[in-house]
Amino acid sequence: MSVIAGIGFSAPWLLLGLLVLPVLWLLLRAVPPAPIKRLFPAVTLLVGLRDDDSQTDRTPWWLLLLRMLAVAAVIIGLAGPVLNPQERSSGSGPLLMVLDASWAGASHWTALERQLETDLAEAGRAGRPVAVLRLTQPAPLTFQAADVWAQQLPGLQPEAWAANADTIAQSLTHLSAVPDAFDTQWYSDGLAFEQQTDVLAALEDRGNVTVVAPPAPVVGLRPPVFDDGAIELRATRVETSSAQTLPVLAQGKDPSGTLRTLATATIELEPGATDGMARLSLPSELRGRLQWFALQGRRSAGAIALSDDSLRRREVALIGATSGNEGLALLSPLHYLRKALVDTTDLLEGNLGDLLPANPDVVVLADVAHLPQSQETALIEWIEEGGLLLRFAGPRLAASDTARGDVHPLMPVRLRAGGRSLGGAMSWGAPKTLAPFSENSPFYGLNIPDEVSVVSQVVAQPDPDLAERVIAELGDGTPLVTRKSLGQGQIVLFHVTANAEWSSLPLSGLFVEMLERLAVSSATRSPDGADLEGTIWKPVQVLDGFGQIQDGGTLPGVAGPDLVTAALGQDLQPGVYSSNGRSLARNVLSADQVLTAPVWPGSVTLRGFEHSQERVLGGLFLAAALIALALDALATLAVSGLLRIGRAAAVILAAAVTFAADPGQAQETDNPTALASEVTLGYVLTGDTQLDALARDGLRGLSEVLYFRTSIEPANPAGVDIEADELAFYPLLYWPISTRQPLPSPAAYEKLNAYLQSGGMILFDTRDADLSRVGATSDNARFLQRLARPLDIPPLEPVPDDHVLTRAFYLLQDFPGRQRGAPVWVEAAPADAEQVEGLPFRNLNDGVSPVVIGGNDWASAWAVDDNGRARLPVGRGFAGERQRELAYRFGVNLIMHVLTGNYKSDQVHVPALLDRLGQ
Amino acid sequence: MSLAPIPTGVLRQRAEEEASALPPLLVQAEQLAGSILLGDHGRRRSGVGDDFWQYRPLQQGDSRRMIDHRRSAKGDQQFVREREWQIAQTVHLWCDLGASMRFGSDDNQPQKIERARVLALAAAILMIRAGERVGLTGGMLPPRRGNAQILRLTEMLNRTHEVDYSPPEHRAMVPHARALFISDFLGPFDELQLALTKAADRGVQGVLLQVLDPVEEDFPFVGRTRFHSASGGLEHETLKASALRDRYVERLAERRDLLDRLCRDAGWRMGVHHTGESAQTGLMWIYHALQRSPA
Repeated sequence: MSVIAGIGFSAPWLLLGLLVLPVLWLLLRAVPPAPIKRLFPAVTLLVGLRDDDSQTDRTPWWLLLLRMLAVAAVIIGLAGPVLNPQERSSGSGPLLMVLDASWAGASHWTALERQLETDLAEAGRAGRPVAVLRLTQPAPLTFQAADVWAQQLPGLQPEAWAANADTIAQSLTHLSAVPDAFDTQWYSDGLAFEQQTDVLAALEDRGNVTVVAPPAPVVGLRPPVFDDGAIELRATRVETSSAQTLPVLAQGKDPSGTLRTLATATIELEPGATDGMARLSLPSELRGRLQWFALQGRRSAGAIALSDDSLRRREVALIGATSGNEGLALLSPLHYLRKALVDTTDLLEGNLGDLLPANPDVVVLADVAHLPQSQETALIEWIEEGGLLLRFAGPRLAASDTARGDVHPLMPVRLRAGGRSLGGAMSWGAPKTLAPFSENSPFYGLNIPDEVSVVSQVVAQPDPDLAERVIAELGDGTPLVTRKSLGQGQIVLFHVTANAEWSSLPLSGLFVEMLERLAVSSATRSPDGADLEGTIWKPVQVLDGFGQIQDGGTLPGVAGPDLVTAALGQDLQPGVYSSNGRSLARNVLSADQVLTAPVWPGSVTLRGFEHSQERVLGGLFLAAALIALALDALATLAVSGLLRIGRAAAVILAAAVTFAADPGQAQETDNPTALASEVTLGYVLTGDTQLDALARDGLRGLSEVLYFRTSIEPANPAGVDIEADELAFYPLLYWPISTRQPLPSPAAYEKLNAYLQSGGMILFDTRDADLSRVGATSDNARFLQRLARPLDIPPLEPVPDDHVLTRAFYLLQDFPGRQRGAPVWVEAAPADAEQVEGLPFRNLNDGVSPVVIGGNDWASAWAVDDNGRARLPVGRGFAGERQRELAYRFGVNLIMHVLTGNYKSDQVHVPALLDRLGQ
Repeated sequence: MSLAPIPTGVLRQRAEEEASALPPLLVQAEQLAGSILLGDHGRRRSGVGDDFWQYRPLQQGDSRRMIDHRRSAKGDQQFVREREWQIAQTVHLWCDLGASMRFGSDDNQPQKIERARVLALAAAILMIRAGERVGLTGGMLPPRRGNAQILRLTEMLNRTHEVDYSPPEHRAMVPHARALFISDFLGPFDELQLALTKAADRGVQGVLLQVLDPVEEDFPFVGRTRFHSASGGLEHETLKASALRDRYVERLAERRDLLDRLCRDAGWRMGVHHTGESAQTGLMWIYHALQRSPA
């Protein structure tokens, strides 16, 4: 690449083409423009006239210049100009790009992609074959052209885990499979991992290694821990000397099921410190909704900490047998349960009837034999909806006849009368110990301490389905814990007491673990592998490298111990796993993982991200050439007189005007601000398209008349859907009645009444004055009666002669529309209205009549088409036009009446007022 | 034209197509004619006519039948009711329907032929309303009076000729009639000279109206241009049209001068009308030029 004035050219020899330009100049000058053919009848007068000058009209110099520029731009564009070319010692031979591609790189992945693009382009210019190796997803190395990789670049994504032993081993295998030497560019994520040195050594064997280090230190969020009533959020980072403030969002679903941020916290990282902590105290209700915590603004799986059961506290209702001896706490069947559960659950105690409506997760019945019938039914219902009933045996249960004859709905098995005692003073046998749990048992894998022994128990009847209901048994095969499902829930019976009377089980740690496995309690500490021995966990949601939640349903299950201890990888992705109603989150970072920055030996070249300033200008120049050529075409037309600038400009201007005017038309009905800022006449949409169009045209005609004759300048009329639209914007609603429109809903009537009371006016038009004069003799009038029955309409009367409607703008005595003669009804004058001596009018109603009812079909008389011509004929000849004029006058009066109220009525007082003012 | 009978439907369609061109021209012409109020066209002396002229006392030699009894009954003297002398003139029209007339420099402007037709027909309507007999030169449509003649004229005027510059028709002119020739007069000059000479020989006097497009007057062209006539028979190419302008205008003035002189020799009048102007000015000029009594 040669550089000329800061611009590099990939094909500088093409620039020699610029030398041709002067020749082109001369050529273009010599060629005259093509002649225009014109029809010209007066050519007879031209015949025989000679041109003075054999020289043609010259192509104007500016047109020549434009063409020169276009050609020059083409030549320069093809020469491949590059602005700010990167002068890098690029080397040669194959190039391997190694990507950490772990979660730590996700937060600066876009920058990394840009860097890769630049480097691939560079390699492409140098003609080097390129292979890409992702350490988290190693694939056999294929050296291909750089632009092939550039196309595949969007497919390279970071994974949610870091390189582990497996992937490193695979990577090393792939590396050793390449016979040739190659140089390496290693895009580190800024996080050290084991065996990094091994990989580096393998790479350095083959050639030079350049490491590209990320711009910012890695930050991650540790799993949240619930401690002392608050959630502890811990962030960790690679050691740096600067202080950092990290906002954390706690996100989960709100009661309506939408995902939102439920709480926020801020973690302060001191200079030099690698860990910081924030405590978030939330009500348990809110805590139960949390799904994850996220470091704000960081797209990385490491910046997400998923929450699981450890933050969620179950509600457990403890029901003991009612007993009077309160003093003997240690003998209470509930004492050990309380102790075992108090740290991890919210305990509810009281009467079952009171507790069930609180919908606890678990109900514990300790030695309760009988329940009242109503409570039993409610309990069964609750279990069927997914509740867990945990029962403990005891003296009362053993003594009762519950589940003796047949299986009780709230007992998993039938019981023998009396139970049995083992190893007592009067018996031969020794206390029994527990047999190891079978594989089908939820307790499978739990370690059974030696000291657990059972001295007394209730014994199950050997029924056909007993075997499948047993989930724990004694050494001699007697069932110790039985379980059955009921609906979506289950019933579990411990055949011993919940206190230490019958066995030492409640004294051991096994008891707590068993409760945990039964999802009675959830552990606050993170479980270790041994706790989860024998369980299989299904992924529910998993994280991708960017920290986005993905559905985990298609992934295979994970064994319990692996879930906790194994390294994250393709087979164990970070996410939320569930098993047996419990959920467990596996986060990217563990509680004690330390993030360290990699240390690179001096043999590698280290560089940061270089945002390439390189800009390929070829396209720009070619585009400029195209534009210049387009201009040239226009200019050529203009010069030869074929371009009618005036017409073109008119077209462009018209288009612009139309474009500019368009939004105004579009918003005429929808925008409340536009409706409120201008007087807008409304018509009620009846659902009859023709009628609606007529009403619209009618109001438009009236609006135009108002515009020309009065100071009212209405906007375009708007159709009003009384069910959906806000009515407050319209001073007048024109309501043509047709029997086909549906009656408004109660809500719409409510709106209409509010509209009428707040000063709105409705003009009902039955449009049938040609059919009927008065009353309910026509269909439309009858329909109007039904329609208006729920409306608050005051008593009406035909417009009296001195009504303000007769003189609001024009003096009128008749209100014709397309029909004439039918009376128009308005609100009746108050009974006490009297004519004052000397005044021409009575002092009538002070307000505006809320309704005007008539049948003169005004809209038809007002209606104009788009050209302003009347749409429908009115009457005949001049008399008809006069009638139309009167219809318009009625409209003007009506709108004046609506907008000015009784102003005209008050005008009669003006002389008196002036008189009082002494003028 | 083939002799095979034309199906009725096709015939009807053609007829309607033809007829559809009539009303606009007719309406335009009627409107134009309506814009001129007819002045009295009488001879301003008593004679044969319909309109009342004067009452005069009965004189010797008057027949008794001539006594107007209504007037005479008012007094002792006997009166004769005289009517105004009205005569009908014969007017010959010639409207150039050649291809050179089908030219309009702008879409907004009428073609010369349209303007010429409208003017000719409007003048004809005016004259027919005034009771004159109007017809075309050349015997195709001899002069007649009455409204039916307007329709016939409209039909004839709606034709077009394919010739570039059609020569003036001068045959079958009634002696001592009036004539109205409308054309752009850009064609061969001697044809026109022949026509006017023949007309003058028969004592026909008349009016020439030259209808021109504004472009033909101004010659606003620039650049390399190839001018051609309507049929393409005549062509002239120039490299620099703007340089021709002065000489073109000169030649046009020359031609007009020639026309003027010719008219004066034959006792005719000549006017110029541009399609850019309103048709009314043209009609007014025709009306006045024709009304001027032949000295």
